[in-house]
Amino acid sequence: MRLHPQLSLLVAGAVAPVLVLAVAAGALLVRHERQTMQSEAIGRTRSAMSAVDAEIRGHFTSLQALAASRNLETGNLAGFYDEAQRVIRSQPDWLAVRLALATEKQLFDTRVPLGGDVPPVGDVTSFRHAVATRQPVVSNVDTDGAPPVVRMRVPVVLDGVVRYVVTVQATPDRFSGVLRAQRVPESWVIALVDGNRRFISRIPPLPPGQKISETFRAAIDHAPNGWFAGETLEGTLAYTPYVTSELSGWVMGIAIPAVTVDAAANRTVIGMGAGVAAALALALLLGWYMARRIAAPVAHLAAATAAMGQGKDVRVPDPSRIDEIARLHDALRTAAAAVRERSDLQEREKAALQAADRAKDEFLAMLSHELRNPLAALTAAAHVVKLAQPASEAAVKARGVIERQTKHMARLIGDLLDISRVAMGKAAIERERFNLAKVVADVINVWRASGRLERHFVSLGASAVWVDADRARIEQVFSNLLDNALKFTPPGKRVNVSVGPEGDQAMLRVSDEGEGLAPGMTERMFDLFVQGARGLDRSAGGLGVGLELVKRLTEMHGGRVSAASAGIGQGATFTVTLPSVLPSAEQAAPFDSAPRGAARQVLIVEDNDDTRAMLHATLAFSGHDVREARDGTSGLALAAERAPDIALIDIGLPDLDGYEVARRLRATPGGRKIGLVAITGYGQPEDQKRAFEAGFDAHLTKPVAPERLKQVMAGLR
Amino acid sequence: MSDSPRLLVVDDDADMRLTLKLSLELAGYAVEVAANGREALEVQRMRPANVLITDIFMPDADGFEAIDSFRREFPRTRIVVVSGGAQFTKRDYLPDAALIGVDATLQKPFEIEALLETLKALPAA
Repeated sequence: MRLHPQLSLLVAGAVAPVLVLAVAAGALLVRHERQTMQSEAIGRTRSAMSAVDAEIRGHFTSLQALAASRNLETGNLAGFYDEAQRVIRSQPDWLAVRLALATEKQLFDTRVPLGGDVPPVGDVTSFRHAVATRQPVVSNVDTDGAPPVVRMRVPVVLDGVVRYVVTVQATPDRFSGVLRAQRVPESWVIALVDGNRRFISRIPPLPPGQKISETFRAAIDHAPNGWFAGETLEGTLAYTPYVTSELSGWVMGIAIPAVTVDAAANRTVIGMGAGVAAALALALLLGWYMARRIAAPVAHLAAATAAMGQGKDVRVPDPSRIDEIARLHDALRTAAAAVRERSDLQEREKAALQAADRAKDEFLAMLSHELRNPLAALTAAAHVVKLAQPASEAAVKARGVIERQTKHMARLIGDLLDISRVAMGKAAIERERFNLAKVVADVINVWRASGRLERHFVSLGASAVWVDADRARIEQVFSNLLDNALKFTPPGKRVNVSVGPEGDQAMLRVSDEGEGLAPGMTERMFDLFVQGARGLDRSAGGLGVGLELVKRLTEMHGGRVSAASAGIGQGATFTVTLPSVLPSAEQAAPFDSAPRGAARQVLIVEDNDDTRAMLHATLAFSGHDVREARDGTSGLALAAERAPDIALIDIGLPDLDGYEVARRLRATPGGRKIGLVAITGYGQPEDQKRAFEAGFDAHLTKPVAPERLKQVMAGLR
Repeated sequence: MSDSPRLLVVDDDADMRLTLKLSLELAGYAVEVAANGREALEVQRMRPANVLITDIFMPDADGFEAIDSFRREFPRTRIVVVSGGAQFTKRDYLPDAALIGVDATLQKPFEIEALLETLKALPAA
């Protein structure tokens, strides 16, 4: 069932008892009005009857006054006749006065001269009644003569015997005036009826003596006073109250048309009906309005919910003023938002999955390319080795290719294994406390020495900061960042490395002036397989796993890694932060507090101004006598002036290389006693071996840590 | 034109260039090398080769662009494409070759003998 009829029913149900009460009250009101009208009508009828009785009594009084005449006592009939004639002249309604003996012998009639022929007494019943009761009597209408008359008789009692009866004949019209005086409305009927149920007088008029209606007659026969409903002689339906006079036995009736009686009740009933109808209409209207207010938002919400179910865009309607609906509305809006969010999330996840899938495909294509290329070179080189003379230049070159490409492949495979080990969480971390700045500087020195930095300006800003980490892994992290920066930075541009404490963190930052990153790429940079737009461009090389490795390794150490770029062409900055720790006691001990050895003569041969200055400052601070040279020739010259106790010799010198300088120093007089220390970026075992063969006593890898330098120097004689 | 046609090998990998040059020279060819498409065009203009052997994926000018340039400027030069990419895997080469308008394709790594066979099978320029 729909809401609208339900609510209408509800309102109608609430209104119904009120309506029933109202109808009952209305019915009571109608009844009361009818009763009031009835009693008023009856009262009016009574008063009309009383007026008639008073009229009759007036006649009786006048008649009795006449009957008290002495002429009757004395038997002077002539005198009484004259007296009667006089009286009749003063009573215009009196047609005649008659005198009769109680024996019904008529003596005179004023219309007939005394002694003339007189008519009989007429209406014997009333005559005898008067004689018997000795009371005045009024007769019924006598229509025998013309005009019809009513008679009032007064018995005359002389010496205790009824001797005479004086009678007055009057026209029934005498009572019309009384009826008229009642001033009933025109549509009504007022009638005076005698004991024979004949009209004495009536308004509207009918001939006196005409019989009343059977209904009226039956009513009077049933009860002397009362009320009946029936048609008048004119055929009008009417309610008629009537009263019977005890004095005359006459009946007074006033017929009130039913239309008039019912009109009031009808007005009440119609008023009530209109009220009920209005109340019902209002109930329906109210139901309809409420249903609209509830149903319309509900319908909107239903439509919105259906739309939501079909996955369409949901337009939630304006909130309703009805709290419950408003709550439903809120709930739907929340649900719609949640659904939208979820579908958005699904879209994003789907997109991410597709991107990951694409990245994987690209990675596989690139991996295929990266592994096939060295294989192709190896295959061709093997072909050359097979066919060419072993000592020929072609064979030598081919062997070089095989060596390089094998290493390259080994590195690629190593990277792959690394990333898979780390990705599977199988990489173990062996923690130790070390100075991050030193590790970074070491890597840079090794790379510089190997020529990998020669196409770029690479600078390092370092201050000591200690971390508790796996040294080899951290080296790997930095190497990957540096490799990445070099790969994506055009030759001749700068790569800046800075390392040091930042709050309670150790910060390592690599900034380049390279291609930069597109907005949105900074987050994805560390995802597996993702590389910039360079795609399969081999000059960038690598497997795209480096940054992923950086991220994984850093996170394994409890650190974080981030990428930033102002945009394409704006360069990029990669920052690694690791928790910093306090250095262990022995490491922290400043090297100048170590027990001072005897001051020594130290010669530094180093072409790099920074390194030379740093070594000079360190040694001078420790109290040694330091001299320095920029190249091998001037170094040898200084040694010839005065042989040093110790010589620190850079291998990569502009003129002679470090090995040559060492050999020549050893060849000088006293050269055997000089402690020779090689300073080199080459840290491989074969490099050391070569240094020892050249006569060096010790081998230090750049950058030279002061404490290491002290250890080495202490180890020399 | 001599019996042994001149070849131009284009590859951005120095070792690949070198080994191919050595191998092909052992087989009697005269071989020029270039590191990219642009360089290849310059070399070709100075010392035209009969056959271009080029990698597809290279910096500066993509291998496809280089092929296109050669097709227009040196329509008589035969073109052999070698690639380490997955694009030509598990496929019959000829349709692909026809598709990109080259004479033959080879997937890295390949035996030098296969390359020599391919060169011999090329229609005479």
